[in-house]
Amino acid sequence: MLTSFLLRGLAVGTVVATAFGSPAAAQDVIKIGAPLPLTGPLAPEGLKQKRGYDLWAETANAKGGIKADGKTYTVEIVYTDYASNTPRAVQAAERLITEDKVNFLFAPFGSGATKAASAISEKYQIPMLAASASSAEIFNQGFKYIFSTLTGNETVSVPIAKLVAAKNKDIKRVAVLARNDLFPLAVAQEFEKAVKAEGMEVVASERYAIGTMDHSAAITQMRAARPDWFYASGYINDLILIRKQMADLGLRAPIITLIAGPAYAEFAKTVGPLAENVTSMSWWHPAVRYKGKDVFGSTEAFNAAWEKKYGGEADYIDASATADGAVLQLAIEAAGTIDPVKVRDALAALDVETFYGRVKFSSGGQIQTLQPPIFQLVDGKPVLLWPDALKAGDLKFMPK
Amino acid sequence: MRSWLTLAVIAPLLAALPLVGNNYALRLATTVFMYSVMAQSWNFIGGLAGYPSFATAAFFGLGAYASAILQNHGVPMVPAWACAGVAALLFAAFLGGAILHLRGHYFAIASLIVAEMLREIVNTLPDFTGGGKGMNLPLLKLSVTAQAQFFFYAMLALAVLTVATAIVLQRSKLGFGLRCIQQNESAADIIGINSYAYKTAGFCLSAVFVGVAGAIYASWVNYIDPPDVFDVLISVKPMVMVLLGGLGTIFGPPLGAVVLLLLEEVVWRNFLTMHVAALGVIIVVLVLFLPHGLLALIRERFPTKAMAN
Amino acid sequence: MIYLQIAANGLVLGGLYACIAVGFSLVWGVLNVINILHGSFIVLGSYVAYFAYVHLGIHPFISIVIAGGVLYALGYLVQAGIINRVVTAPVLITLTLTFGLDLILNNAMLVAFTADYRGISLAHPLGSLEIGPVFLPGDRVAAMALAILLTILLYRLLRDSSIGRAIIAVRMDREAAALMGVDVKRIIFPISPLNGPVFLGKAFVVCVLGGLGSVPGALAGGLLLGVIESFTSYWLGPERAVTVSFALLLVLLFVRPSGLMGRRGYE
Repeated sequence: MLTSFLLRGLAVGTVVATAFGSPAAAQDVIKIGAPLPLTGPLAPEGLKQKRGYDLWAETANAKGGIKADGKTYTVEIVYTDYASNTPRAVQAAERLITEDKVNFLFAPFGSGATKAASAISEKYQIPMLAASASSAEIFNQGFKYIFSTLTGNETVSVPIAKLVAAKNKDIKRVAVLARNDLFPLAVAQEFEKAVKAEGMEVVASERYAIGTMDHSAAITQMRAARPDWFYASGYINDLILIRKQMADLGLRAPIITLIAGPAYAEFAKTVGPLAENVTSMSWWHPAVRYKGKDVFGSTEAFNAAWEKKYGGEADYIDASATADGAVLQLAIEAAGTIDPVKVRDALAALDVETFYGRVKFSSGGQIQTLQPPIFQLVDGKPVLLWPDALKAGDLKFMPK
Repeated sequence: MRSWLTLAVIAPLLAALPLVGNNYALRLATTVFMYSVMAQSWNFIGGLAGYPSFATAAFFGLGAYASAILQNHGVPMVPAWACAGVAALLFAAFLGGAILHLRGHYFAIASLIVAEMLREIVNTLPDFTGGGKGMNLPLLKLSVTAQAQFFFYAMLALAVLTVATAIVLQRSKLGFGLRCIQQNESAADIIGINSYAYKTAGFCLSAVFVGVAGAIYASWVNYIDPPDVFDVLISVKPMVMVLLGGLGTIFGPPLGAVVLLLLEEVVWRNFLTMHVAALGVIIVVLVLFLPHGLLALIRERFPTKAMAN
Repeated sequence: MIYLQIAANGLVLGGLYACIAVGFSLVWGVLNVINILHGSFIVLGSYVAYFAYVHLGIHPFISIVIAGGVLYALGYLVQAGIINRVVTAPVLITLTLTFGLDLILNNAMLVAFTADYRGISLAHPLGSLEIGPVFLPGDRVAAMALAILLTILLYRLLRDSSIGRAIIAVRMDREAAALMGVDVKRIIFPISPLNGPVFLGKAFVVCVLGGLGSVPGALAGGLLLGVIESFTSYWLGPERAVTVSFALLLVLLFVRPSGLMGRRGYE
């Protein structure tokens, strides 16, 4: 009785889902499954990724779809919300593969959920492209079906340490405040390594729990340590609060670096004048200029398409999500088929220019050819400081 | 007798599911068994004794981490699961001694805080637990389908064991004592029931299977991190399932688990961003209009002598 | 000297906690209902004030009245229409009911307002007060003072009303829940529907520390929790502050379940 009940219930679910799901003819559609955190704590990030995927799918379809297997495919993205709950993300990935029969997957948000879901894509041999996963723990598992368009955490730590060390020899004392969570913790640890390698001293290093409402104790302690450089990692809401409380409690430092909030336009909008001179790194920035063989063709064209659809500028998560789609399209066209195993091989062999930058993956599946820029907020707008090819201003130090 | 019979009919039927279902159906069924274990376990303390425990997540997370740590130190998988159950049991015995003298809301909050605290402790011991970075478990060298079937049967076995325990408990002195405590704890004391010992025993029973379920879950998903295994929803869902099925009954909790999962699944597929609210509506309607659960509804329709007890 | 600053931080934070907890404590104490909706109500109040500031230019210290009114109406509806039907039911029922309501409200806010974090940058920020070596954040202190003032007003109203404490309390509870939380949060935190559960968690702890149904208890519990968290963060690191405050709470539950200032009989 229970068995039949269970199966009947599932059948109902499937029928309803199909009825609402695909508008186009069932054949000649490439289905890509995208489990995203559309509700729950990560919802803002999930919505960003969705915007990125949607822009690619629309553009690809408007330009005549994807040609492979002697046919023209249209792109359909099957979204599902995993409510910011990692087990649910894993379940969603498996459901998309087995029930919705997707051909490819876009990964969930962040390093933690991507790592968990990578076990599923590996099991079913479905290539999965990740827009927001950077931690090395994902790419040293020996998996073959996970690909990420963000470089490792050291690439958003080492360059800024080198730049600061080169510009000002007086910056010696560094204070680090990190969120106790996979990505922020890993990136902060890379940063500590990088500044120590430049001969600086980490005078304070603290971790805060997820959901912390108050940083006053840590900030007071760091004020007492008189840092030349204050560094905090976390997500945008954490960093807004930290920046405000620094001002409240009179913690000043010649350099304030926050990762990864200031890359989003909301940061400067919310903290107002306190955003001034904050430095950060992000994997991508709309000021970069690349010519590509992808569906957009150039960074300018991508920026224009973004502006037209959403208004404003894309941040690195937006762009990385769109790039995932564009890269998948290039791999399918290179493979000449939508067979997942062959597309996987094409992804692994890819070395191509795109609007997002040059794309070539390591053997573990992480992009190697991206150079994340350093920027500083001036008059509420990001000014690129590095790499030299994109340089639009000089690093400014604040009074101590 | 009737209960044993029901179990003897249903369990083999369920065991045949891998013959007809795909891997996703197996995943859902495995999840149902896990829910069922948690609901049934919660029923021991929450349904029978009337103590609204929010400690399910604490036991679940503790089991998951205990087993993961042991396996990463070379203990084989199945013994590690057993150890996780024992760890949860010992923890419940210790915890029960500390908080079972509280009643009502105070007990609810104390049990809720225990899970939060364990999560923070795990978070702050990175050398031991991986901290916020989470923990990997050894991958099984089995095919996709073989793995799905293995965890399906493991969780099914645990669910059957939990139901069997519930049947035994229902007729035992302990079960009787727990029901007395729910009716009137002071009176239970007067008629010679050592309510403290009984409550602690009930609490331990509510922990041990959940601990094992957490351990199996950890092996099943290969990767755990603190926010997931100490999630407050792990504590809340079993209560909803028990309310849905029928408080203090034997087959109410598994029934509630099945129905809740199916509702969740259908709602999840059809409401992209409003599925949480839809679940909320279900809960509200349930509490307002069906406070005695589905089993009571079924019994009203088909009253039989055996079921009436 | 740093201890002065740590203590000041703790008191400011504690004032905030007290504001979050006081309405929650009243509902719990008076109705014997744990209102899981509390966190979402606070967030909703914040949104009311946010929109009032952004679209109508009303200063947050003034829009407290609007937010209070909106939340009062909503609270009244929820209370009279839904919660009253099960108000005498066992703990489990009322808990589950408000949990379900919270899922609905929170999801609705998420869809209506999106999850993006928003904050108000005041045109004339109050800045920081520097008293010797101690910094006091101006807007936090002002918001806290206002909220505590309102708390005392509410308390007097409950105590002195001739209609009878119970009736007024039952009618007022939702308003209390809303009124107290509103203002403080919106200036200080980036707001988002996602904040609800965090507020709720703090309210729980404060109520048990201070004792249920007692306005002075909520104030004392809040201040105490703030100071404890502030000092443990300093001594043991911010990530351990939460663990330590939970541990203290468990010990307190063990030795004195009615809280520091609570009346007996609610346990």
